[in-house]
Amino acid sequence: MFSLVLMTVNARYDKVNLFFESVVVWFVSPAQNFFTSVANSITDVFDHYLFLVEVSNEKDRLLLEMVRLSKKNNELLERNKLLERSSNLTEFAGEDERPFVVAKVIGYDATQWSKVIFINRGTDHNVEKNLSVVTDAGVVGHIIHASLKSSKVLLITDSRSAVDSLFQETRKSGITVGTGEDICEMKFVPTSAKVSVGDKVISSGLGGVFPKGLMVGTVVDIVKQDRELFQDIRVATSVDLSSVEEVVVLLSGQEEG
Amino acid sequence: MTYLVLIIALVFLLLSIQTTFLRVVFPGDIVPDLILIAAVYCGIHLKKSRGIWVAALIGFFQDCLSGGLLGVNFLSKGLAGLFFCVIKDKIIVQGIIPIGFFIFATSLVDGMIYFLAMTSLLGGQVKGNFLFSSIILFGVCNAVIAPFLFYIFDKVRQWLHRKFPSQVFESI
Repeated sequence: MFSLVLMTVNARYDKVNLFFESVVVWFVSPAQNFFTSVANSITDVFDHYLFLVEVSNEKDRLLLEMVRLSKKNNELLERNKLLERSSNLTEFAGEDERPFVVAKVIGYDATQWSKVIFINRGTDHNVEKNLSVVTDAGVVGHIIHASLKSSKVLLITDSRSAVDSLFQETRKSGITVGTGEDICEMKFVPTSAKVSVGDKVISSGLGGVFPKGLMVGTVVDIVKQDRELFQDIRVATSVDLSSVEEVVVLLSGQEEG
Repeated sequence: MTYLVLIIALVFLLLSIQTTFLRVVFPGDIVPDLILIAAVYCGIHLKKSRGIWVAALIGFFQDCLSGGLLGVNFLSKGLAGLFFCVIKDKIIVQGIIPIGFFIFATSLVDGMIYFLAMTSLLGGQVKGNFLFSSIILFGVCNAVIAPFLFYIFDKVRQWLHRKFPSQVFESI
């Protein structure tokens, strides 16, 4: 009964932030921070190792030695990369008049079925529901729940996500919806519209969540059927959502970024 | 009290691993559900009806850390806890094959509950073909992980029982 009440309340009054949800997120976010840092460190070790395998033996030997002897150097390298990514993000977000905040991805959805990430910025940093989340490569998703120090971001690949979009060249519009997989579909594009593989898809600005002109993805597959009104268009997201580490939340008010 | 705090700490540890490490280890679309395996374990090994409530509670925590409909996992994990709590005396859930089989079946039910809840309450916003294509792999993935996880849970349970003797679990 309790679960049915929860589901009904959640489905009908979507804007209500339940107290328990915030409490659990508040408790878990420090652990998520910790585990993400550890996981990133392990991934970095593997990445560096695999990279070294591919270069010449001489470089391989020197780099391996360097990695082994100089842990500090590796840390600085990672910090440098982080600064570089942050710099790209702030530069990109700074082009717009809107205030923004840079956030780090600290976790993923606890279930198999939703495409959600957790970021380490919440209402303490003026993050609120329905704000758009982007990187310099394009749209990531939007905030669906904001706690004090962390927030949930619904990715554009989630099956409940929809972004009003248009083709950059032809300006034909459609709606980019998530499929639950790592790819999106563009709906409501008439069969008469000329679309080619490789066409860029950008946000149209309609809908009030995503500003106009953000890169959504690239067309990778088109299926036209004579008797159908609309084309089946598959769009690869411009952001690699499986490995995104830092994002920018575009704030709504006049707060400073 | 210490016992309860330790159990809750373990649940939060499991949730943290579910939302961080697993995506690194399983970078594809299919990720095992540690919470589902823990819920089944609780249903089998906790005494009386405690398994139902603990399973439902960890399902609720999972709901809070998910972008899905709040209450879906509370229901599905609670039902898993209830099912195994009721039938635990009538079946044998020991060994790799029985554990794998029951976890596989529970995973299918869990996926179906999610699908039905999302389609009925959110008006068909979930693509069925995606769900059905991945649900089998999801079940297999859970079934493969489950015996190993059950082994770890057994060890933790034995350690807890030695350090803090209580009547919470079935006899070891």
